[in-house]
Amino acid sequence: MPVCDDAAAERISENLDRMRSRGAGYADARLFLEDLSENLLLYDGNLELNDTSDEKGLGVRVLYGGAWGFSATSDLEAIEECFDKALSNARTASKLVRLPIEMGDRPPHDSRYDSPVERDPFGVGLLEKLELLSAVDEMLERDWIERRLVRASCQKRRVLFRSTEGTTVEKNLTNVFGTMVVMAQDCDGQMQRRSHSLYTTGRGTRGWELIADRALFADHAPRIVEELSELRGAPVLKRDRRSVILLPGQGALQVHETIGHPLELDRILGYEISYAGGSHVALDDIGSLRYGSDRLNASSYGAHPNSPGTFGFDDDGTPERDYLLIDRGILVDVLSSRAMVREANRRAGREVIRESGGAARASAFYRAPIERMTNINVLPGDDGSLEDITGSTDNGVIMDNPTSWSIGSNREHFHFGCEIAWEVKGGRRRRVMRNPTYQGHTLEFYGSLDAVGDAGTWRLEQVDNCGKGEPNQVMQIGHGVPVMRFADVITGEKE
Amino acid sequence: MLDERTAEALRAVRDEASRSGKRASFALHREDSHLMRIGNSSVSLSTSEKLTRLDVRVVEGRREGTHTHVGELSGPEQVRELLGVAVEKTAAAREKSFEPLLEEVEEPVDEQDQFDAGLAGLDPAHKTTVYGRVFETVGRDYVYSGAWSSGSIELFLISTSNDLEVYHRGTDQQFSVVLKHPGKEWELRSEGTGWRAADVTAEQASAELGGLTGLYESRPGRRIEPGSYTVIFGPSAIADLLQMAAFSGFHGRLYEEKRSWTASSTIGEVILGDNITITDDPEDDLTFRHRFDMGGRRRRCYPVVERGAISGFFYDLSTSAKFGRRPTGHDTRSPSLVMACGDGPGDPLVAVSSRKGPVLHVPALHYTNMPNVSEGTFTGSSRFNATLVEDGRTVCPLFSSRVTDDLPRLFRSVSVIAPEAVSVNLSNTYERRAPVAFSVPSYIVAEEVRITDCAESF
Repeated sequence: MPVCDDAAAERISENLDRMRSRGAGYADARLFLEDLSENLLLYDGNLELNDTSDEKGLGVRVLYGGAWGFSATSDLEAIEECFDKALSNARTASKLVRLPIEMGDRPPHDSRYDSPVERDPFGVGLLEKLELLSAVDEMLERDWIERRLVRASCQKRRVLFRSTEGTTVEKNLTNVFGTMVVMAQDCDGQMQRRSHSLYTTGRGTRGWELIADRALFADHAPRIVEELSELRGAPVLKRDRRSVILLPGQGALQVHETIGHPLELDRILGYEISYAGGSHVALDDIGSLRYGSDRLNASSYGAHPNSPGTFGFDDDGTPERDYLLIDRGILVDVLSSRAMVREANRRAGREVIRESGGAARASAFYRAPIERMTNINVLPGDDGSLEDITGSTDNGVIMDNPTSWSIGSNREHFHFGCEIAWEVKGGRRRRVMRNPTYQGHTLEFYGSLDAVGDAGTWRLEQVDNCGKGEPNQVMQIGHGVPVMRFADVITGEKE
Repeated sequence: MLDERTAEALRAVRDEASRSGKRASFALHREDSHLMRIGNSSVSLSTSEKLTRLDVRVVEGRREGTHTHVGELSGPEQVRELLGVAVEKTAAAREKSFEPLLEEVEEPVDEQDQFDAGLAGLDPAHKTTVYGRVFETVGRDYVYSGAWSSGSIELFLISTSNDLEVYHRGTDQQFSVVLKHPGKEWELRSEGTGWRAADVTAEQASAELGGLTGLYESRPGRRIEPGSYTVIFGPSAIADLLQMAAFSGFHGRLYEEKRSWTASSTIGEVILGDNITITDDPEDDLTFRHRFDMGGRRRRCYPVVERGAISGFFYDLSTSAKFGRRPTGHDTRSPSLVMACGDGPGDPLVAVSSRKGPVLHVPALHYTNMPNVSEGTFTGSSRFNATLVEDGRTVCPLFSSRVTDDLPRLFRSVSVIAPEAVSVNLSNTYERRAPVAFSVPSYIVAEEVRITDCAESF
């Protein structure tokens, strides 16, 4: 399907030229011709969310005098005014600039990316969608279960990107997310929960067929019911230092918060300090910082076709890349965009980052691109299956799925709560434990990584709610992670 | 009032829907926003957004559906199309086990008393001037960050329930400037809020930052051992705790579903200290006043906790319908929580001058969350302007320290409450502009607060 009609594209090109003639060093525009979303939620069997939305509009970014100005409008009759406002904002911003922003030069290209989709989720009728959700809901229903939630959300975007460099990118992006949750009171009257979110294998398509794949979604319903049942009478995890084995449902969040965010270059350079925070990583650390044990290999990987972290080209027009962030425990690269890479190298006085990581992303037409995660993965290791790792654990716990996350402002320390833990003693998985928590300091924690599961334990978790930036932006990303074990971790809370 | 062309288009389609027996509501949100971000002592982004959103919700017996459109409204024909989408979704939906409630305007409201034309049309150049003056006054050697969001919103709601209308137009701003020492890494912050352009000044920010740089320059940061401490919480931390307590303790749905930390309590039961009184008061000028909610209910002062006893829970339309309760006016993104002041001394250091041992002064908490909602357990770490106090004197900066405690226990252990209220802005700009400010005491002193971790850095 063509992304854009020629008339709108022509008007954007004319205005980009106009920005050039008025002194802009660079400008780009994102025209969202279609941004559809749908949220369906069965809550205790009732369809409590039956919401759709459509958005259409233009976002314009202008670099003038080394400063960014941005403007967005939902009024497509006001394209000229939107460009003028962005230029005016940039001119004002340029009055207070210490280190001018530079985009550098990139050869123009004319590119296109389409998410691979078998069944367009917006072509699937509501009745069929509700049938699928209801079938899952029925599997979750028990008289002792007090709350059941089954949710599906779908997104589809048609975006045209154009820049003053002459680059044009057309994108058709589709995502489908799914979650199921069950809750019941435990023996102390506290509400316990167990959940499962639609994940992918990293291969395949990402239309409605993803959530319809029973192995990825529906088949997990009986498991979470069984695990919730065990949680109701389980003992509370007491405070102790022990090994922690993270299943991918929790490992994804661990990676997200303590590898992904601290390696965003805008955080490292100090552009998020007043809001989300900074990073414990310094520019000089790139290439030398021991981030974790030799077993830790992490990457930004743009080639998983069926992940929300795969988008072809970022909102600078840069192709998404595949590269290592952490190589055998050593920090070797970060998540970056064009302007931030140039600034980092200028500030370091040497080339600390070779090229943009293709991580400039805007969540909507009315938001400016910032450094965002893509698919931030931990690569599989050679320590075998979950059973193999459990078998070599003397005193530990296996943990899965977050209930709570709180991280220090520079991502240097963290505290996580999980839905469930299984005690491991003498190499055997024993009883279920409830209210599990663990905490640690990032570098010390990854330094204690002493087992990484093989490819059979790896899966790609979809994230649809990563918040960052001002104005705030919610982004969709992916995390491919294997089972991981960390030694000597503080777990549980003091009485 | 809303521009007549848009209002007429909405009324026309509402009336058509009503005549044809449909039950529908039309909620319009318009924003004209500007945000300037500061990073590395430069303007890193200056952004404007002019957006119109229309939420159309249809209820048909036990079915419902909602469609939201972001884009300009060309006229009744387009509104009719959007209604058609919602009607179609509703027809295909399945019935609930209860009947949903449709928005119903209780009484007409036309409020614009927190609208300041000066703030609505604030020239971004004014922001660069203010930031520049702060940099000059406090010192160019530091690295500055910050954000200044300002703008206006319009809200308009009508439904087929009746022909009444509510309209809100208001301005709001949220200002922050963070100073970071380039070598020692500590960070200080000053915040501003209000609905008038004059509510944020360079002088106020400069004075707040300048008042702390001496201590931070002269004393190294200190790491404390985990344990129990007396803690002075400042306004930002109090607002954070209040927001968490309200969401997890007094939201009707969580209470009805036995998921809140108040689940086993009843109205009138004393669960917090007798010095704790909390209301949701849309008449308080330290908050952003919204006298109606998007369910159409008239919002008035709503007691939540009176002298430690539960007075009420928040019921939105959806929860009310499910559990057979009366809506309380809480279908709003802009609550006005107010924590009552006390009779402590004006200066928090005086309030702790007789304490033995170290006292922590934590003006702000970073990234709070709740590992156990049933128990009211929260965790978060100190950030910005945190110091160690001994014998009533500030002695040194405090490294990033983690607080992990229970909300009910903490609000039972408050020994001193400041006599003066301040406004804390908790707005976010996820999806749509939604101004939120709470009125809280300028400090509280809580006893035996659990510190569970401390970093070697700020």
